[in-house]
Amino acid sequence: MNGPVTFDELAALMKARAGLTVDPREMERRPDATFAEFDLDSLGLLGIVAELEKRYGRPIGDQAEGCKSPHAFLDNVNNQLTAAGV
Amino acid sequence: MSQPIPASSTSSASAPSAAPSRSARSRPRQPVVTGVGVVAPNGQSAERFWKSVQNGDSVLGPVTREGCTHLPLKVAGEVEGFDPSALIDGRFLVQTDRFTHFAMAAAEMALQDARLENDPEHPFAIGVVTAAGSGGGEFGQGELQQLWGKGPSFVGPYQSIAWFYAASTGQISIRGGFRGPCGVLANDEAGGLDALAHAARTIRRGTDAVVVGATEAPLAPYSVVCQLGYPELSLSADPQRAYLPFTTDACGFAPAEGGAMFVLEDREAAQRRGARPQAVLAGHAANFTGTGDWSRSRQGLARAIRDALDEAGCSAREVDVVFADALGVPEADQAEALAIADALGPHAATVPVTAPKTGFGRAYSASSALDVAAAVLALEHGVVPPTPNVTGVRHDLDVVTGEARTTPLHTALVLSRGLMGCNSAVVLRSAHGDER
Repeated sequence: MNGPVTFDELAALMKARAGLTVDPREMERRPDATFAEFDLDSLGLLGIVAELEKRYGRPIGDQAEGCKSPHAFLDNVNNQLTAAGV
Repeated sequence: MSQPIPASSTSSASAPSAAPSRSARSRPRQPVVTGVGVVAPNGQSAERFWKSVQNGDSVLGPVTREGCTHLPLKVAGEVEGFDPSALIDGRFLVQTDRFTHFAMAAAEMALQDARLENDPEHPFAIGVVTAAGSGGGEFGQGELQQLWGKGPSFVGPYQSIAWFYAASTGQISIRGGFRGPCGVLANDEAGGLDALAHAARTIRRGTDAVVVGATEAPLAPYSVVCQLGYPELSLSADPQRAYLPFTTDACGFAPAEGGAMFVLEDREAAQRRGARPQAVLAGHAANFTGTGDWSRSRQGLARAIRDALDEAGCSAREVDVVFADALGVPEADQAEALAIADALGPHAATVPVTAPKTGFGRAYSASSALDVAAAVLALEHGVVPPTPNVTGVRHDLDVVTGEARTTPLHTALVLSRGLMGCNSAVVLRSAHGDER
């Protein structure tokens, strides 16, 4: 997937917003791995969505906060941002 | 350190693996303390806390926490240099307030002391109960400042749980995988004792062990401002004179942060896994006499003492030491002295009474939990710790001042009253009386 938000950026947000140390390469390598496997709960994902909304200056909808895996989440978010011309 | 022993491990194939029915037992389940964890202004482990309590150290000092130094409260007991990351993962720390950091660290130390860990095969064998009076004030203030300073999207989602009184119970349960009965008490200073009683009832109903206690972090700007409305708060700027209960110089109490957590466990469950009981939670009683007139607490506290002794099957003369509430307000001190006399009769004039909290302050619901920690350690060591800074007691009580007293101790009475009118008493007995 090509989009503005990378696995490195997601890993950094998981650290900053939820206190989790996650290897971005591992997330990238495992398309089926869920956020739960990386110990991220739904409140943590909400905080990451809010941070991305501020960073990119636009709302991120389409149930991004309901995505169960890092791959699904980045697909969703990057599709929205790309469609918006970010 | 020894290997942790799961709560439900059994020493023989015939031992019950689940809680047997009550009728199958020859005697009721008995709650015992098998682990103590402390984060207090005078020590960030049970061992260091006890050393300081026994010495009668006074660690009350100027309020230094950020945003608090210009406020009228000048003296408190701060937990300095606390680093929870040594014991607790970062993800739990980001999500929670300082009071939960204290609770998680103290719970971890209590679990290590008890050598207890969750058995994934029996996740319902261990529960969690905490008491909290002020909740996550510092975390909540930070997020509210984001809300009003920047806007709703700048409020982090963990605000929804971090400020809440139940946060510590929830996080200890999640982190440890403890899925037994969980609860939280938000009922004033006495909550620290009432939480233990709640845990004891949970154990009598069949849960093997409960991680229980109370911690507070009220030394943050919003929380301090809330406390300024209490007429009982000492505004003295002199750490040696700010908190002097039972004296003619009594001028209120100095607040504190920190607290204590315990592993309370069914005696047989503890024996099955080879854990050593440190004390028996033998009796408890609580009642309410309202606010606005401390003289009314005399009747309530006396009744709580009598009822707790009744439950323990303990006579007044058997009480070897009293850990007093020691509010530091003359009418309240008088009411407590009279309550002890009402409940213990002539024994009240000779039983040693102590209030180690005069050395480190009064941490709201955690204050009584710290008193229980001190009482358990006093029973273990046969030492009545002193009441720091206090001299010239004006009541007809044998308040231990100056030096600690070494004396055989089998029964300790711990008293607590809340600023909102709760009265509570706990009777702890030595766990080794039977064997001696």
